[in-house]
Order: sequence, then C-alpha cells, then structure tokens
Amino acid sequence: MSAIETDCAIVGAGPAGLAAARAAIDGGVRSVLVIDRDDAPGGLPRFCRHPGFGWEYTRRLETGPGLVRRLIGALDPARVQIRTGTTVQALHAGPRLEILSSGAGAATVHAKAVILATGIRERPRTARLVPGRRPERGILTTGQLQQMIARGVPLHGKRLVVVGTEHVAFSVLLTARHAGLSVVAMVEAEDRPMSYAPVATLVRCIAGVPIHATTRISDIHGETCVSGVEIESPEGRRVIPCDAVVFSGDFVPDSPLARSAGLTLDPATGGPQVDQIGRTSAPCVFAAGNLLRAVESSGFAAIEGARVGAATAAFLGGRIGWRGQVSTIAIAPQFRYVVPQCWSFEVPGLATLPTSLRVGADLDSARVGLRHDQALLWRGPVRRLLRHRRIRVPLSSLSTRLPGSISLVATPRDHP
Amino acid sequence: MSERYDVAVVGAGVVGCAVAREFSRYRLRTILIEARSDLGDGASKGNSAILSTGSDTPFGTLENRLVTRGHQRYRAEAPAMGLPILSVGSLTVAWNEAQAASLAEMHRATVAAGYRSAELVDRDAIYRRVPSLAPGALAAMWEPEEAIVDPFSTPYAYALDAVTNGVEFRSSSAVSSALREEAGWTLSTATGAVACGLVVNCGGLWGDKVDALAGLADFAIRPRRGEFMVFDKSARPLLDVILKPVPSPTYRGVLMAPTAFGNVLLGPTAEDIDDPDDWRVTRDGLAKLDAAARAMMPALLDHDVTAIYCGVRPATERPEYRIAAHRDRRWITVGGIRSTGLSGALGIAEHVAALAFDGMLRAERKAELAPVRVPSLLEGGERPWRDAARVARDPAYGEMVCHCEGVSMGEIRDALASPLAPRTLKALKRRTRAMFGRCQGFFCGARVQAAFEHASRRAAE
Repeated sequence: MSAIETDCAIVGAGPAGLAAARAAIDGGVRSVLVIDRDDAPGGLPRFCRHPGFGWEYTRRLETGPGLVRRLIGALDPARVQIRTGTTVQALHAGPRLEILSSGAGAATVHAKAVILATGIRERPRTARLVPGRRPERGILTTGQLQQMIARGVPLHGKRLVVVGTEHVAFSVLLTARHAGLSVVAMVEAEDRPMSYAPVATLVRCIAGVPIHATTRISDIHGETCVSGVEIESPEGRRVIPCDAVVFSGDFVPDSPLARSAGLTLDPATGGPQVDQIGRTSAPCVFAAGNLLRAVESSGFAAIEGARVGAATAAFLGGRIGWRGQVSTIAIAPQFRYVVPQCWSFEVPGLATLPTSLRVGADLDSARVGLRHDQALLWRGPVRRLLRHRRIRVPLSSLSTRLPGSISLVATPRDHP
Repeated sequence: MSERYDVAVVGAGVVGCAVAREFSRYRLRTILIEARSDLGDGASKGNSAILSTGSDTPFGTLENRLVTRGHQRYRAEAPAMGLPILSVGSLTVAWNEAQAASLAEMHRATVAAGYRSAELVDRDAIYRRVPSLAPGALAAMWEPEEAIVDPFSTPYAYALDAVTNGVEFRSSSAVSSALREEAGWTLSTATGAVACGLVVNCGGLWGDKVDALAGLADFAIRPRRGEFMVFDKSARPLLDVILKPVPSPTYRGVLMAPTAFGNVLLGPTAEDIDDPDDWRVTRDGLAKLDAAARAMMPALLDHDVTAIYCGVRPATERPEYRIAAHRDRRWITVGGIRSTGLSGALGIAEHVAALAFDGMLRAERKAELAPVRVPSLLEGGERPWRDAARVARDPAYGEMVCHCEGVSMGEIRDALASPLAPRTLKALKRRTRAMFGRCQGFFCGARVQAAFEHASRRAAE
C-alpha cells in the first residue's frame, strides 16, 4: 500500500473544501491534497445549472458549475492536488487517512492537518416516515434528481410532485424546467413556504405551480414506478397523479466519517462540534462548511471554508497551537443550535466562523443577547425569529475578553 | 414441446429456491419457475432476518420439526456458500408479572422440547446485556443460538447453487394453467409451456391460486402484513441481541434486532389483509412501531430511520404449515409457510424431497457438486475493496459508488454479470445493498441506475 505525505488533507471538494484549499495556500501551506469520492470536484452545486450560488463568497451570481469553476480556477495546481473518485475509508489519529480509488488503489495519507468538509445530504422518504408503497422508480431526493439530470440518466416520466419548500425546492423547479420536466405540485407540511416569500409568490403566480401548505403525503401509489401521491390537508385527501415524488430539503450533515473517527458530535446539528476557527475535538482535525450543520448557502459554506483554511495555515505555520481549554457556548432553550459550539479564548486575531444560530420554533418578537460571564456584550434588535433563518451574532466581540462563561439568550420584546 | 422436466418447482421464494437446490443434488431435470422478474420477491423479501432455532414455533408440529431442522442445516451448509450467521442470541423479555409467569412456563416447555440452551435470566443479567433497554423488565428467557442472517443473499445463494448444479431458472413466468397428463403436468407459463413429471407448488402468497390450477382447494391464503423500520447504523451500538416480547397465542409481537448489515431492525406489526399484493407501509403501522420502540428502547428513537418496509406473510386459516403430497396427482403443495420460511427452508426442502422420493420420483444422488459462494454483504465483513491486492488487480473494486453501504462499481458489475442477474433496481439493491443505506440514493442513485440501465441494454442486445 502506498503512502502519501501532505501538509493539509481536505476531505470534500465542495465549496467549503475548495475555498479552504485556497485559503490554506494563501496562508502559507505548501501542499494541499483535496480528496473527493465523487467522479468530479464541486460537491452539490455542480449538479445545479441555474444561478444563485456563491454570492456571499464571490459577490457574483454564478450557476452551480460556474461557482465550481471559479473555486477550482483559484487554486494553484502546483500546490493543490485534487483527487476525485477517491473515498476516505477511515480517519485515524496522526492524522492518517486510509483512502481508496480505482486509479491508485488503497493508500495511506499522512497529513499534518485535516479539514473535513463532507457536506450534507437530504433526508429521504424513509427517514421522514412517509407511508405508502415503495416503487423502485420515482421516489427521489432533489440531490438524486439533479444528479440524474446532470448525468443523463432518464426519468421514466415527466410529472413531479415536490415535497418541501426550502430554497432547494425552488432549485428543483428550475432544474426540472431545464430538463423538460414539470412540477405539478409542491407540498409543505408547515402553514407557509419555507423559502423567501417573493420566491414562493413567483412560483405560484408565474410558474403556475400550486403550493399546498399544511399538507402532507398520506400515500404513495405505483408498483414499479410512482403513479401518484395522495395528499392530506385540513380540507381532506386527494390524489395527484405524478411520475415522481421528490423529497427536498430537510438536510443533515453527512457525518459518518467524523463519527467513525470518534470526533465529538453535536446532537443538535449532527455535525462535529467545533470552536470558532473550526477545530474539532480531535487534534489536527478541522471541519468546515455544511458538515457543521444543515444548511447554509454555498457562499456561506465557502466563507467558512476560507476561514478554516486560514486557521489551518496559522496552525501549520506555528502561529497558533491546538485548541486547549474551550468554553461551551450555552444557548437558551428557544435555540436549536449554535455553530461554533465552543470558544477558545487563547486565539488571537484570526477571522472566526460566521455564527449559525437558529431557533427551534418561530418567535414572533424577541431579541437575542450575547453574555460573557455577567456582562451583556451585545444585544440584537427586537425582531421576528424564524426557524429557517440564520440569526447573526457578533461572537467575535468575545475575542478581546478573558476566559469566562458564554451564553446566548433570547428575551421577549417586553422584557427589560 | 422442446423438453420435459422431472420436477417443476413453482415459486422462487426462499422455500422454492431451497427446494430447487435440494433436487439439484440428484440426477434430475429440474426447473424453477417464478412469476416475478426476480427470485425472493414475495414473502421472502420482507422478514425480520432472524434464523430461529424453532423454539418459537408450536411444539410437536411439522413446522416446529422443519424449522428446527432448517436451523441445523443452515448452520452446517450456509457458511460454505458465503452466507453469514451472527449468533447474537435472543432475549424474550417479560415486562409484567403475568408475562413473567407465562415466560417461566414457556421456558419449562422450551427446555422440555429439547432446546436445552434456553435459560431464564434475571433483571440484572438483562440490563448487563442491553443497558439501554427501557426500565421495567422483570425477567427474560435467553436463547444463545438464535441468530441473524442475510435474508436477501439466502434465497439467492440457494438459487445460484441450484442453477450452478443444473437447475433451469425461468423468471417472469407466471403459471396460468396446469394440464394433467398421463405422466405428469403441462404448465402454461407467460414464457411458454413446461412439461414435467412432478409439480412442487412453492407459490407462497399465491400458493392457493397455484393449487387451484390443479383443482386443489385445501387451504386459502390469508395474507398477513407486517411492517418494519430499519434504523441507522449509528443505532447499532445500542443492541447486540435479539429482543422479543413474550408472545400471545395469536401474535408474536414487535421484536428488535441487529441486522447483518449493521442496522437495528424493529417489527413486525401484524395485520390481516385481503390482497396479497398490498405492500403498503401505513401510518398506523409506523405509529405502532414508534410506540413499541418507545416502550422497549426510547434511545432508539434518537436515531434516524434508514428504511421502512413491509412484508406479507402467507398465513392460512390454520396456524400451521400446509404441506401435502398428492401422490396420485404427482403434485406436492408447500403452503402456509407463514413467517418461518427463512429459518425453515432447508428443513422443508429435505422434507419435500423425501415426499417426492416416496413413490413419485426416483433418482440417484450426484457424486459431485459444483460449489457456489455468494459475495458477503455483512457489515464489516470480507469485501473485495478491503483487499488491496484485489483492488490492484481489478480497479473497479476501488471505485466506490454507494458510500453509505460501501459498494464498489466492481461489485455492482459482478452482480449484473451473475447467471441470476438482477432485472430490477430493487433486485440489484438486494444483491449488492447499493442504495439501501441511509441516503437512499441521494449520493449514488444516479450512478447505480446508470450502471444498471447500461447492463440491461447490453443484455438485451
């Protein structure tokens, strides 16, 4: 079995991994190996041929493949090697990676640091416990549908019912149109669409796609191929004939590698627990991008990747050490999770991960506060807090503070 | 008529495949006829994957004798075919005094019936084995020989063994009529007529309909649907034994078990249905399973569900096997195998052969048999991609396609090249486990389907 040496191994060549590679090189890392199990780099955006990718990172409106080209184009091939079609079978202490590919067979990678950027997947029909038959064709996730379209794998019919109304559901709409498929209905269990209101209005009015809110799928019909779905709402049940039902959104981090490597996972996110520069519980192993939590945009994931890449460079350059004592960021019960989950007070002057804070249930009117020991460091405006929107918190204001306890609180408007 | 067979086995479920394999040991022309496009595609595809010792079947019955024998034979013969056996053992748990009393009685009867390794264990022993079990268990019966097997590779291995040793397999060949002739039968099938000297009806869920073609009406199938949930591999550390409730006379209850593939399985529910083709997973069924998990092991519900499915069991009006040799008609019926086909198949096959050789058939046993070995799909088991030398020789084993289940393109290629090649995506899933994992095709579905369509096109050309 061959052995490969590299300064920094990055697992996952999506927006976070590619941006991390660039930032690591910019920070002085001499060699970076980016490993991806798929047959080409790019992660999920590479299958989405419509605009809307990377804005926060590139300040351009790119298509998915356009963003991927830009991220790859920014890498110096002399210092960054991208190996696709390569699976990481195991991550051991060292860090040491066991990899496998058809071209090079089994090999061991010895790295001085590892960045995990393995991204996300959608929860399928089974995990959502949707009853009905189980035809072998036509029960899809948007990820599978987009890959099928991009790879030219034919679908047996043209009529789609899309479950869910997160942003990705509208991405399917665009992809489907492009491929000559039609979305005949969108189904949402909540009482309103989960994407931006204007998008939903456009879909309803211009594309003419009915959005059924407060509705769930009560049965799936078809023996070999999906032939229809029965939907159930307060108005009753009815059957919509269709050829495929596409389960969209409901993303979760794809964290089996992090789990098998023994990293501490955050049960609330399903991803590894990290400090503000992406250091996990395992020495020399960083994590970035949507693996940390599902789901933020590709541009956001790229920014996270870039910051973690810069932190990795600082670590490899000896400018910072590995994480020592960390303070867990306590969150009020209204919150579902916060990323980063903990804070290292000894890190000077490095750009930190943008905060991902989300509520568990919509709050009509509340303000968020950041406490350090007894002091209120920051207080946000009174506003509506929605489950599917990220709440911005300037955690970086902690960087000038001495070690202490940290908490995020939510107070109703009338609270003094 | 081009050829004539000594034996036609109708139905390639786990029992039909085992019966065909049994006849392949003799100098006979045997054909295995299946209505569906793949073997093991009826009752055999939706079970709990437990290899029972037989101790949970009514003592003194044919079912009990054949399941007990099937278990013995499985242990003796399956490993050579590459089939895994995980002897995890089972705990039948009593949660109240009434159950504890019937458990004690059950234990006494079980030991008396010859299952001497069964022992009663106390509460501490239960929680030592299953620390995450819900509180409140009083006592349990421990049966160390109960095991977990691969329910999909088992009928495949039997059929592959049969075919390798001379049996002809014909799929997509529903039998529509049976014409009695002097020396046997002519069966009309969707792919042509089959003339044979003896019919063995292993029609499973459709067994009564097959019998009716010969004018027999000894029993009626009363399909019983059982729904299951399979939990993510992350749940596997919670459970290393089979957990069963104390059964009632009519329902064995929801059990919880590890799977050979590294998951945790929960089920089945039990519901009598009218249509043997009603393979719906229902909201009620899922709610019952959720309640069962909550009662037995709430920690299980912290893990995602990887698969939901149902099985339909070929029960009849009576809780027993309906195996009958109609000597004058040259027809053997293997009906009412209920929920014990996987454990009982090799016992049933031996019994059927004995019936056939008792006046209906004469044949010599073959001196030499070609061995078969199916790929291991066991979690953590031997896989081509784990062997660096094999990957170096055949790079397709290094091209991983299904990441959740760890399936390489080489393994998919091999499955598609089998003499019993999968003709549907679901059959390919059963042979390789590709797309069976937690992502259900999110990552791999498009590529696996492309490989499948490519192979199917080439086979058609």
